[in-house]
Amino acid sequence: MASQTSPWLRSARGPMFVAMLPAIVLIVALIYFTGWAVTYSFTNLELTGPNSLNWKWIGVDNYVRLFTRQGFLSSLWVTVIFTFFSAIVGQSVFGFVLAAAMRGLRGWGRTCVEVALMLGWLLPDIVAAFLWQATTTDIGFVNTLILQPLGFPPYDFLANYALVVVIVANIWKGTAWSYLLFSAALDSISREILEAAKVDGATGLQRTWLVTLPIIRPHIATNMLFITIWTFTYFALIYALTGGGPGSSTEVLSIFMYHQSFGVGKLGYGAAISIAMVLIVGVLSVFYLRQLKEPK
Amino acid sequence: MESYGRTSPLMALALAFVAVIWVSPFAWLVTTAIDPKTTGVLEIPRAIGIDNFVSALSGTAGLQFVNSVWLSVGTATLTVIVAGAAAYPLSRLNLPGRNLLLWGLVLLRLLPSAGIIVPLYFSALSLHVLNNVGVMLALTVLNLPFALLLLKNFFDSVPIELEEAAYVEGANVWQIVTQIVMPLSRSGVAVVWFFSFTSAWNEFLLPLIFARTDTAFPMSVGLFAAFGQHGAVDYGFLAAYSLVYAAPAVIVYFLLRRNLNTGFAGVGVKG
Repeated sequence: MASQTSPWLRSARGPMFVAMLPAIVLIVALIYFTGWAVTYSFTNLELTGPNSLNWKWIGVDNYVRLFTRQGFLSSLWVTVIFTFFSAIVGQSVFGFVLAAAMRGLRGWGRTCVEVALMLGWLLPDIVAAFLWQATTTDIGFVNTLILQPLGFPPYDFLANYALVVVIVANIWKGTAWSYLLFSAALDSISREILEAAKVDGATGLQRTWLVTLPIIRPHIATNMLFITIWTFTYFALIYALTGGGPGSSTEVLSIFMYHQSFGVGKLGYGAAISIAMVLIVGVLSVFYLRQLKEPK
Repeated sequence: MESYGRTSPLMALALAFVAVIWVSPFAWLVTTAIDPKTTGVLEIPRAIGIDNFVSALSGTAGLQFVNSVWLSVGTATLTVIVAGAAAYPLSRLNLPGRNLLLWGLVLLRLLPSAGIIVPLYFSALSLHVLNNVGVMLALTVLNLPFALLLLKNFFDSVPIELEEAAYVEGANVWQIVTQIVMPLSRSGVAVVWFFSFTSAWNEFLLPLIFARTDTAFPMSVGLFAAFGQHGAVDYGFLAAYSLVYAAPAVIVYFLLRRNLNTGFAGVGVKG
């Protein structure tokens, strides 16, 4: 730790405080914006019309509306399904399996698979959305390459299984992150421990379950924390791919909030939705952080 | 041996299969983009030409490319300068409650950015920056908490003894920062710059609301507007546009890859 008494730091104090000023200004702005958003959630502010100027305090009405009106609860359910299957099951489990499978792989084989995974991760959201829209329509390559040669009629997946397409697209896009993190975690486990477990007669499955997973538990929690937050509040890919439809079958909370705020124009209600999202993500984060802190 | 030894042929085959599945949507993108006569169906290109790329880089589309470059380089550089200038003192000076402050800010950023878009919009309107400069400032504000935390953790791992030695030798603050601290923190700065660059390059919602005309759109909104249009879809143009849009993010990653890997180790999994 830096000691306060070092002459170098004493001489540098002044310039250091000056250097911090721009960041302080922007941080104050961020806190101010957030406070403003919280304030909106207790008003009936709207984007246009009389309530855009003469808004009133309406207490917790917006929050009551979350549970009494149609929309929020069903959107929450879609979000939970999307997050659970695409992030927690898809990206995390698949990322771990790939990292474990690639442990012994070196050289160009490893590079090829890694580059393939990274391409999905590096592509901008809107490109991924365009790609998956083009892939899963009735003339997309899933149809031309797989279904038609097998004699099936063309099928428009995006119109019929929108949520599944969105989940698969997100697994395709996000697995690289989990893979990279688990790959680094597995590299940190010494071979001696695994050798010892093997000598003691543990099977491959037992070694994974009883030795590897407990050791990389903090990495699992870190990974879960990040991908849950990202996936729960994901907007661009889903919005560009389906716009929340057909109907409201893929209307996750971020899209629901966008529609309520800028489509319907109810800025106050939209703010309440985003505060509710923050609370849910906050509870999940505390859960993961406890897993992270717990002694091994 | 299977979990930590050599890879079996079966495993290699399975991995190859995964890799093929992963790149196949991308392969469609490439074959469609290089075929000026494409109809959007996956096939061996009937002709090969750069017509699609020419139209994806000229006129409005070309302008949108320039917008994206300006927006992303500006955001990343601004973020690194502002966050670096504050993270270094945060790491070196014994300010009370600094960790609480940093984690509090990160927690604050969990708010979906859509949640503070309305205040951002009104502020940009009153400051007359309802354009790409506004998006740049807004993104820097949004990036700052994570950038501060990552850079502070990174500076913590740079030994202070070198700076003290240089000070004893008579170097001034500016020399110490530019000649000792910055070279040693290259990979941490690279990580933050890369993440800010890609997040700005990707950013969709803010420019969707801030930019009003198609000549002011960055590529994210430009592409969305183009494939959202109904009627005959020009797949060749869209595929070429997608590749042009995707290329910088991919290229920047591979250029910084070595720095990023060390940077990941330094800042990635530290609590």
